[in-house]
Amino acid sequence: MRLQAILLVFSVVVSALLPAGLQAQSGPLRIDINEGVIEPLPYAVPLFEAETGDAGGLAAQITQLVAADLTGTGLFREIPREAFISTVTSFAAPVQYADWKAINAEALITGAVAIQGNTLNVKFRLYDVFSGAELGSGLQFTGTTDGWRRMAHKVADAVYSRVTGEGGYFDSRVVYVSETGTKDARQKRLAIMDYDGANIQFLTDSSAIVLAPRFSPDGNRVLYTSYETGYPRIYVLDVGSVQRRVLESQDGTMSFAPRFAPDGQTIVYSLSQGGNTDIYSMNISSGQTSRLTSAPSIETAPSFSPDGSRIVFESDRSGSQQLYIMLAGGGEPQRISFGPGRYGTPVWSPRGDLIAFTKQNAGRFHIGVMRTDGAEERLLTASFLDEGPTWAPNGRVIMFTRETQGADGRSTLYSVDISGRNLRPVRTPDGGSDPSWSPLLR
Amino acid sequence: VHTGHYISGAGHLALLVWLIFGDVFAAEPLPFQATDVSVISGAEYAALVAGARAPQSVTEVAQPSSPEITPDAPEVQASTDSETDQNPPQQTPAPAEEVAPDASEIAPLPPPAEVADEAPVLPEPPADVAVLVPEVSDRPVPQAAERIAPEAVAQPDPEALPDPVEQEAVAPDTSGEVMQDPAEATAPEAAATEIVTEAEKPAAAPEQSPRPPARRPEPPVQTATPKPEEAPEAPSNTEDSTEDAVASALAEALAAPSSAPAVPQGPPLSSGEKESLRVAVSNCWNVGALSTDALNTTVVVAVSMAQDGKPLVPTIRMLASSGGSDGAARQAFEAARRAIIRCGAKGFDLPSEKYSQWQEIEMTFNPERMRVK
Repeated sequence: MRLQAILLVFSVVVSALLPAGLQAQSGPLRIDINEGVIEPLPYAVPLFEAETGDAGGLAAQITQLVAADLTGTGLFREIPREAFISTVTSFAAPVQYADWKAINAEALITGAVAIQGNTLNVKFRLYDVFSGAELGSGLQFTGTTDGWRRMAHKVADAVYSRVTGEGGYFDSRVVYVSETGTKDARQKRLAIMDYDGANIQFLTDSSAIVLAPRFSPDGNRVLYTSYETGYPRIYVLDVGSVQRRVLESQDGTMSFAPRFAPDGQTIVYSLSQGGNTDIYSMNISSGQTSRLTSAPSIETAPSFSPDGSRIVFESDRSGSQQLYIMLAGGGEPQRISFGPGRYGTPVWSPRGDLIAFTKQNAGRFHIGVMRTDGAEERLLTASFLDEGPTWAPNGRVIMFTRETQGADGRSTLYSVDISGRNLRPVRTPDGGSDPSWSPLLR
Repeated sequence: VHTGHYISGAGHLALLVWLIFGDVFAAEPLPFQATDVSVISGAEYAALVAGARAPQSVTEVAQPSSPEITPDAPEVQASTDSETDQNPPQQTPAPAEEVAPDASEIAPLPPPAEVADEAPVLPEPPADVAVLVPEVSDRPVPQAAERIAPEAVAQPDPEALPDPVEQEAVAPDTSGEVMQDPAEATAPEAAATEIVTEAEKPAAAPEQSPRPPARRPEPPVQTATPKPEEAPEAPSNTEDSTEDAVASALAEALAAPSSAPAVPQGPPLSSGEKESLRVAVSNCWNVGALSTDALNTTVVVAVSMAQDGKPLVPTIRMLASSGGSDGAARQAFEAARRAIIRCGAKGFDLPSEKYSQWQEIEMTFNPERMRVK
């Protein structure tokens, strides 16, 4: 036993004295990879197979829309079909991985479309080319031929989620204010569209100014502010029937900046009375209100946290416009923004980790994000006028309004990734402002 | 003695008088501008002043009264919400109700049959042979005769010469009267037992190339399966216990199973060689499509390498992860696996003589510097 103890001590001493490089000999080679590349992931999506004779047209359109969704995120790069080595002749055919590796495709999407009467069936598979295996199980969607865009968005959502790990956001809608005419005679009306600007439908006419539409948590209703009576009033509109009603308010007051609570029954809004603006909550069923702030300063733009426990809002109680957080029932707020400039229109992320805001500093407007405690503030955009951010359902993308300078300036919707990359306009036939992103459709 | 003082005082006095009265410090007159002015009468001045006065206000503006601030919440009318009397927009038809598509999983594809991307595994070549002895002798072989021998031929004498007509050796008979000419014994021509044509002759080409084969890796060393050791007997005395223990440990080490990972031997990889491998993998580690959660996840990935520097894909596995959820770890591992496979497809540039050093590699993928900040 004594000899064993001596040998043990000796081995420990020797191993401690050995250089690190020689100690590494005893195990596998270990290396640390701390830097990589940030590039869109190259993928290939051959034309979806038409399983029925009349499905060729929709198969091509669906394939194109799936590619547009993925490429539009800035996280994926489509490999042109001219570069393909092999073709996918059948949805059930085995994949020739070597051919897709040769063109450096990291992901491969195959699909098939079938039409029977008015029923449309779309199915797809996703392959990890370099691993030589299918990524998740294949999925198929059944719907009507009129809903082919939604089915394409769902395919793209599934691919996006499996590759990135984020939730999807393609099968969603945006309600916004459509604007026509010059700045001094601008016509505004509510409109709803797919997230990519397709399928636009108008919800109101242009007889009155409308502002700040906001989706309900289930996406079936919209809150907005209208000047139909000459004063700003809050309306609730049912998206399906386009029926609406005004929420009661006291004469001589102005109500605006409404937003739903996560429960879908309570709203928070700003009420201006006698030159003072504070934040109130209201049960839209009973009409019962509750005052949440009572300061002589202006408090507005409230937004709930996803769990409904807290509210972020803007206030100038400190002398300049800053962001504050308070409990959902009111109470002493806590300031979270301390940078130079003015902060406004805060919106809590659906994931609860970030708050998006508008910032004005040194003559420029920015869209930015920060942690809920105000840390890690990052400005994503900068222009003459950027404002009114809204979150995509997955909390990864932000849409906002950008207005150009001059008398003929035009408002346009833009989207940007929270990394600050992939800034791109959202195509609408007319100008657009005040977007509000719906949750994922069901 | 005072003469000098008088002279000095008179001189200074004269100098002072000259300075004071001699216009030495007289300055030149400064230039000035002259402005023409006009002279007006008192009546004209009064008329000008009266015109410059502010007009008298004919009406008084009432100051706005301060708004009444009601500290309490505004009272909401008790009446229920009413429909607005405004007509709904005419040109905005209600959006058509959409039917949400049903989603269902598709049965997985059968495994692709006989579609392999990897090079087929060749059978192990035969062991190297230092000298390959041809099985067929290169010495010339006499061709068999095509004639059929009529009968078995007795072994001829060594001196017998072939001759078409066989004859017995004749010796001179000294006893008789007839004299015979002496003749040598002859043997029939060489013949085989059957006719064999050229086409039927066995090929003379060797079955194996006499050249030595190309260099091949050493065949795996086969070790005999260790026999189960018998339980050591209890030491009979304490003096031999230490030696027995050492001997037992040594025996266990020697009897270690062959499947245990081989301990790397030889010189380790240099820092430059390690850096080259690190850079090669980094160039293919694309985190652009990773979720923010996966970008907070560090994964440790192990891979076994072939001698040609290519990773053995089935051996790529995740050893550990930290910082994120299971789903994020899976996404991070898949990105790391793609990096190893993509950039290792043609083989990493690693020194073959140090294969035992990099046969097993553990890579730690830490995306801390790649996060969105």
